[in-house]
Amino acid sequence: MTKDKELKSQVLLSERDIATKVRRLAFEILEHSGDEQLFFVGIHKRGVILAERVRDILKKEKQEIPLGTLDITLYRDDLDNLGTNPAIESSDIPFEVDGAHIVLFDDVLFTGRTIRAAIGNLIDYGRPSKIELAVLIDRGNRELPIHADYCGHEIKTTKQEYIRVRFREMDDEEGIYLLK
Amino acid sequence: MEPRKDLLDIESLSSEEIEFLLKTAGPFKDLFEKSVKKVPTLRGKSVLTLFYEPSTRTRSSFEIAAKRLSADVTNFSVAASSVVKGESVLDTVDTLQAMKVDYIIVRHPASGIPNLIAKHANASVVNAGDGFHAHPTQALLDAFTLREVFPKSARKRVLIVGDILHSRVARSTSTLFRKLGVEVGVLGPGGLIPDGKPKEFKVFRSFDEAFEWKPDLIYLLRIQLERQKAQFFPSLHEYHQVYGVTNERFARVEKEGIWIMHPGPVNRGVELVDNVMRYERCLINQQVENGIATRMAVLYWLKPQTSSREAEVEV
Amino acid sequence: MSKPTLYRGGKIASEGSSRLRTADVVVDKGIITQLGAGLRAPRGSDVIDCGGKLLMPAMFDVHVHLREPGREDKETIRSGSEAAINGGVTGIVAMPNTDPAIDNGGLVQSVMDIAAEKARIPVFTSGCITRRRAGEELAAIAEMKEKGALIITDDGSPVCDPLVLRRAMEYAREFGLILASHCEVMELSGNGAMNEGRVSYQLGIPGIPACSEEICLDRDIRLAQHTRAHVHIQHVTTARGMETIRRFKKEGVKVTCEVSPHHLIFNEEDIRDYDSSYKMNPPLRTKDDNKRLLKGLIDGVFDVIATDHAPHTEFEKNQDFGSAPFGITGLETAVISLFHHFIRSGKFGWDLLVKRYSAEPRRLMGLPEAKIAKGEKAEFLVFDPHGTTRFTKQYMRSKSSNTPFLDQELEGAIDRVVLGNKVLVDRMKRARGK
Repeated sequence: MTKDKELKSQVLLSERDIATKVRRLAFEILEHSGDEQLFFVGIHKRGVILAERVRDILKKEKQEIPLGTLDITLYRDDLDNLGTNPAIESSDIPFEVDGAHIVLFDDVLFTGRTIRAAIGNLIDYGRPSKIELAVLIDRGNRELPIHADYCGHEIKTTKQEYIRVRFREMDDEEGIYLLK
Repeated sequence: MEPRKDLLDIESLSSEEIEFLLKTAGPFKDLFEKSVKKVPTLRGKSVLTLFYEPSTRTRSSFEIAAKRLSADVTNFSVAASSVVKGESVLDTVDTLQAMKVDYIIVRHPASGIPNLIAKHANASVVNAGDGFHAHPTQALLDAFTLREVFPKSARKRVLIVGDILHSRVARSTSTLFRKLGVEVGVLGPGGLIPDGKPKEFKVFRSFDEAFEWKPDLIYLLRIQLERQKAQFFPSLHEYHQVYGVTNERFARVEKEGIWIMHPGPVNRGVELVDNVMRYERCLINQQVENGIATRMAVLYWLKPQTSSREAEVEV
Repeated sequence: MSKPTLYRGGKIASEGSSRLRTADVVVDKGIITQLGAGLRAPRGSDVIDCGGKLLMPAMFDVHVHLREPGREDKETIRSGSEAAINGGVTGIVAMPNTDPAIDNGGLVQSVMDIAAEKARIPVFTSGCITRRRAGEELAAIAEMKEKGALIITDDGSPVCDPLVLRRAMEYAREFGLILASHCEVMELSGNGAMNEGRVSYQLGIPGIPACSEEICLDRDIRLAQHTRAHVHIQHVTTARGMETIRRFKKEGVKVTCEVSPHHLIFNEEDIRDYDSSYKMNPPLRTKDDNKRLLKGLIDGVFDVIATDHAPHTEFEKNQDFGSAPFGITGLETAVISLFHHFIRSGKFGWDLLVKRYSAEPRRLMGLPEAKIAKGEKAEFLVFDPHGTTRFTKQYMRSKSSNTPFLDQELEGAIDRVVLGNKVLVDRMKRARGK
């Protein structure tokens, strides 16, 4: 947190902006999938919250969407660079992955490495018919050929900048900030 | 939490580290339900099992744990005849250093050998049992199993029965249990209950006396009859009569709903009668399963000093 | 070396008084020719400024292992005697557990011959009680005595059979030989490698119970009482054992005993991380034993301090704790470590060190004491209490470096060791050009 204090913080999206973006994200997904049965998977931790919000919006519009959660720590390729390894959450995929049309959720899309790890992780559960990606923010700077199928907000950033996402469910406040 | 290179004993673990390991073992156990039980976490790392004492179970458990983390596993067999001298152990360490192994899982009949290896190797050293000293992964899997049964383990009562003096399992497991707030009682032949044991241990003279203490769980240790002339007890038969879970005692165990643990392998008719193995509160098989998850958590947690990336940074 | 030397302004330590007296000392042709305040330097003499330093009689160690013959890779009579000199010790008694064991007159003679040729200080030897130290038949005791053996001992092992020990005592008594006892009941020690107790349990190292030493000690003194022989109990480590000795001394039994610096300074708690440089036999006991042994030393239960200097190669010591051999070196660290741990803080005075590690050991062996007095032979050391010593392998002269003090820096430094007309060690920093 001390690191944050040294940085200049700029509000990127307010609570109301986020609500609008999430709603639009939800309806884009609805438009694309029509009546098809979807399965959501959120990446720990804020990807899970995003997936839950989208699911709740679509509750009235679509049949029930099962939601799984994924901790991709064990699939990361940068553990050697960490001092200590992070704690692991249980991954919970409460549906049959084989043949499922899965939408993967994360809050921020950056280098693409997290998504690569998540796809690798999902495939170990079975063979989905399709995996799509939904993110709230795409900040560019990809290091792998990965793109978002659904994106709430795009912004150009440098690698040194930092995007902080705050969701009320876990942070007691709501907002997305750009830290320089 | 500071990064750790080695796991040598339980005493040196902080409560934060213990909680981390017990918590991390959970998600690893969940993996066993997946169609692919493997994760790529340790891809490209090499794990070497260095066993100077035969133990198919522990070695296999580590091997499976390492493989499920996608590490390469090599079993370094040391012929029983060429064993003993610590010096040859250090020679072996030099060889392993040259092989650039990342993790060394070591079992040795002499106490302190893993400490010696850890001092001389960049690889992470996991003590898989040394002499009478420690068996930390056994303790962790026991604690994990205990937590599955009693999510709040504090003030639960565990009675450890058997050879407290020579058992590294008893040392490590009791130490960890006490760190988790468990009350530990011990029962066994007089010479096998050492004076140097922790003062907090409650010592019982008989099973009847121990039953009155209302243990929640009985941990039976594997017993071996000493082949030396000065025995600690006269015969395995008498041991069973006095310190074994006989049919009669099993009836009481069942009636009072006491859980049973044993590090394996079991001597049927000595530590316990056969029926106990089919008892629904017998956790012996669960301990084996949890052993793999716990050892995965240990391998995940340790940080070997063999990473080439670090070396690049230094240059 | 024909020039006289004036040691100016040093404080003189002696066994008789805890007070240090400042005096100048003139040594000429190996003899202390003058002693007093404000002495004038004789013509053409060297003047050594000893301001702030101490002069004390050089030490004598009745218990050292020189490993020659047999294990010259660990130590030789030459390297061991050089280690002694480096530690301010100018006389030593070698233990006979060499290979072959010193159990006859010929071997005693050969050790004496080598010592005469290779050592710069008097090196004495002991002889075995039993042949090959096997505990069965008596060794050639009279023959060894005649060739110069000062005491007899099977050190490293006890004489297990009490009848054999009784016979040895009865026999040795007639030659006025002291019988030195390594006290241990082998069956109780078993494969133990450290004190039996809480720490041995924690480390999973088989223990050696205190009673293993105490039972044997009791037996040996009672046999000495019965046979009227002089028994010397080596390396006492337990307070209870010490109390037994105190009691029998009061009863008039001819029993003397020794304590080692390491049993005063270290205890079982120091054996962390299986460091085999804390492994010796008898083992380090408890913190409480440290305290009570120290008190016993001050009370006078212990006749002498002796190091049980036991060199081993790094190769052997670098094994697991259980497999590494017993023993640590001590000659080079004794004086400085005793200063560092006890004298510096006033636990005991210089007089005690001089009495127990210089005067009494020589008296026990029937040798004249080293004294700083007019007309006496010069046999003293110059000690700098403000200096420090780091016990590096470079500093030490022993072939082995199996000591817990390895690479440690302690307070105190031995600046000079003088024996007769020779300066054996000279680390004095002298002002040049004057």
